[in-house]
Amino acid sequence: MTDVKKKSTRRAFFLNGGAVLGAGVAATAGAAGLAPPAAKASGSAEDREAIRQLHLAFVSSNAAAELFEEQLGVYRQTASQLNEEVRLSEDGLRATATFHCEVELCTPLQDDCTAAQMARMQGLMAGRRWETGRFEASYVKTRGQWTMESVSYTRSS
Amino acid sequence: MSARNYRPLQMHRIAYTDLTEAQVLQALKPTASGPTSKSAMSTVLSGKKLKIVTDDGGPTLEYHFKSARELELAENGGKPIKANYGAMEDRQLVMVTHMIPGSQRGYELVVDQKSGLATVFEVSFSGYAALETAAAAAANPKREPQFKTGKRNREAQRKIWFGYVDKGADKPTARHTYTNRLEGKGIYWKQDTDVEILEFYLTIIYSNFIELTRFGGEMTVCAPTDYIMVNDHQFIYSRIECEFSGTYTLQLIDLFDMTQKGVRLGLTDKDELEYYMYTGKGEITGQIATFEVFGNNAETRPGPRRVYRPLETFETMTDEQVKDQVLNHAHAFGDGKGSGAAGMGGYKSEQIAQFAGKKLSVRMDNGPKIQYEFVDAGKLKWRYEGDDNWRDAWYEMYEPDDELYFFAHLLDAEFPRSCAMVALDMKNGLSTVVKGTTGTPFRNNETHPTYYFGTFQMDGGPTPPTYLRHGWTDEMVGHCVTWNYQRGNPGLTSMHFYATPSTYSWIIFNPDGSGGMQWSSPGWYSKLRDGVYIMAWVEEACNGTLGVICFNQRIMHDAGFGFHVGRNGLSLNVIGARARHAGKFDVKPYLGLKAT
Repeated sequence: MTDVKKKSTRRAFFLNGGAVLGAGVAATAGAAGLAPPAAKASGSAEDREAIRQLHLAFVSSNAAAELFEEQLGVYRQTASQLNEEVRLSEDGLRATATFHCEVELCTPLQDDCTAAQMARMQGLMAGRRWETGRFEASYVKTRGQWTMESVSYTRSS
Repeated sequence: MSARNYRPLQMHRIAYTDLTEAQVLQALKPTASGPTSKSAMSTVLSGKKLKIVTDDGGPTLEYHFKSARELELAENGGKPIKANYGAMEDRQLVMVTHMIPGSQRGYELVVDQKSGLATVFEVSFSGYAALETAAAAAANPKREPQFKTGKRNREAQRKIWFGYVDKGADKPTARHTYTNRLEGKGIYWKQDTDVEILEFYLTIIYSNFIELTRFGGEMTVCAPTDYIMVNDHQFIYSRIECEFSGTYTLQLIDLFDMTQKGVRLGLTDKDELEYYMYTGKGEITGQIATFEVFGNNAETRPGPRRVYRPLETFETMTDEQVKDQVLNHAHAFGDGKGSGAAGMGGYKSEQIAQFAGKKLSVRMDNGPKIQYEFVDAGKLKWRYEGDDNWRDAWYEMYEPDDELYFFAHLLDAEFPRSCAMVALDMKNGLSTVVKGTTGTPFRNNETHPTYYFGTFQMDGGPTPPTYLRHGWTDEMVGHCVTWNYQRGNPGLTSMHFYATPSTYSWIIFNPDGSGGMQWSSPGWYSKLRDGVYIMAWVEEACNGTLGVICFNQRIMHDAGFGFHVGRNGLSLNVIGARARHAGKFDVKPYLGLKAT
């Protein structure tokens, strides 16, 4: 059970116009979207997988880092991933999703001395810590392609 | 002790010629004859054929060694070319070196005749500009390629390929591997060329070395290095003297009998070709601690080997630019608001305020005589003895040892600009002043220190001795000390290696605790008490900072100050860090001279 604190830690990142997240992402989502529907529009396993792939592409992109005050180091899904939810609208054209995760957050070295400059070149940070949280996102399907509409991250206490 | 050839300029001060590609090609022409060697070279490959297959898109090399000096090579099934080579053996290993005539590239091979494993070093010149251009284009955000000190065509580049000798069947699956098993070791080498050198393998991607004969042993310098493990006692060491001559060195190191077989390929500071093989006999100087977690044998490295390029990246400012900064943008200790705990001051000790309201005079032998009135905990008045005018200055004072105080402040607003870092020993009245001043004959935005030893006098203070003084010491030489400057995990941490009485180097750790990049500078060491020292360094040909720390070995803590001038002004700040002793190299017998 997680204790969600939304006020102080929640930041939302809205993608401009539902921008495509990159060629690889578009291809993945597009392939799913272009495939003939194997199930009814609502609850399609392919739709869910396409959204899950969009999410994975998002968290590995630079855009995901915008959600955090600290620098995003590494993202990993956790056992709570089993509780991930992808909720499709009845017409199958919109969706919301919740993805549980752990993220490693880093505090960059800020100083300008030589040692700090060299340390930054080697990827050293002033500090690193892991926290659990969840991404909540909304998606829209246009011309067979899913794109992310908005996403936020909420830290668990 | 062998003869020392002191040099008017150390490596970091030599303006190595920015040779064109055509000039490098011309200089390399004699390599077509193969390397020279004072020791006998191996004939073991004469008449043999070897096909070396490498991994990860590396070359396939088909060799026919026609004699002990001549070979034919077909690269990737291409037309065979003829070249002259040299070879040396260490037990089952044979090292081969040759260039490809008419080109700026060649190969160094290490072939294990027993296991069939092979490691190939493809060495070339005139490749830096392309690499830097590609790196700049790939940077995020993109940047312009930097060629502040030229295109560095003289600098060797190396690609390393792991593979095996293809005998048609039973292809080995093992490979030589990158390793941290040499990390922390120091070795003195005497080579068949009469060259004597101290090498220190303090990180997994860099090494220190002190050129005893070629440069007189005053300075240690650092160079990017590859360490490859053959087995528990045989290692391959590959170094490029980046930022300096660009010379390439490859060595087989055998820790069982402490021997080396090597090849040196490059252009001297006189642009003369060095291409020779050598043998050497070594002595271990020490083994310091390493900081990886147990079980981490670093058989994979954290990405490509990085190269630290301070000569390339740090700006050289003009006289006028520095003058403006030191006169109009000078700040000491946040102008009295305090240094804060940023940078190298994260573990600064409690600030000393007890001198508020007191007066004293420091009198340096053959140096400044300064009178002080301490107004409060952060402000003082000072004047040279004989002057009428008192000047105001911000200061901070610390107590690095019992009743031993260390404070600093800026001196007059003039160009060049100076600061005074003053140690007061309340137990005996001795004082040491390190005066830091901007500018050197090489760069305006560097600093340099001047040491003065003397005494101080104050009401209620001790009567100083007549003859006794703090003085120079070599007691810190050989020691390695880690310095943790900031809280956090890992925070800002480095390791100092106090290499000679006149130099030191610093090491920055990789995220896994292994040693990473390093660089070096001149350093000066004085002794205040048993186990308490003032150490100063200037990051010459780097960012120019003067760092002066009073290091107490009993509490493994320091109190010190940094003096720096750059685009953001002139600053005087506190240094305070926590130390761990990492070990010691017994190098004094090889250095010969002692500080006086």
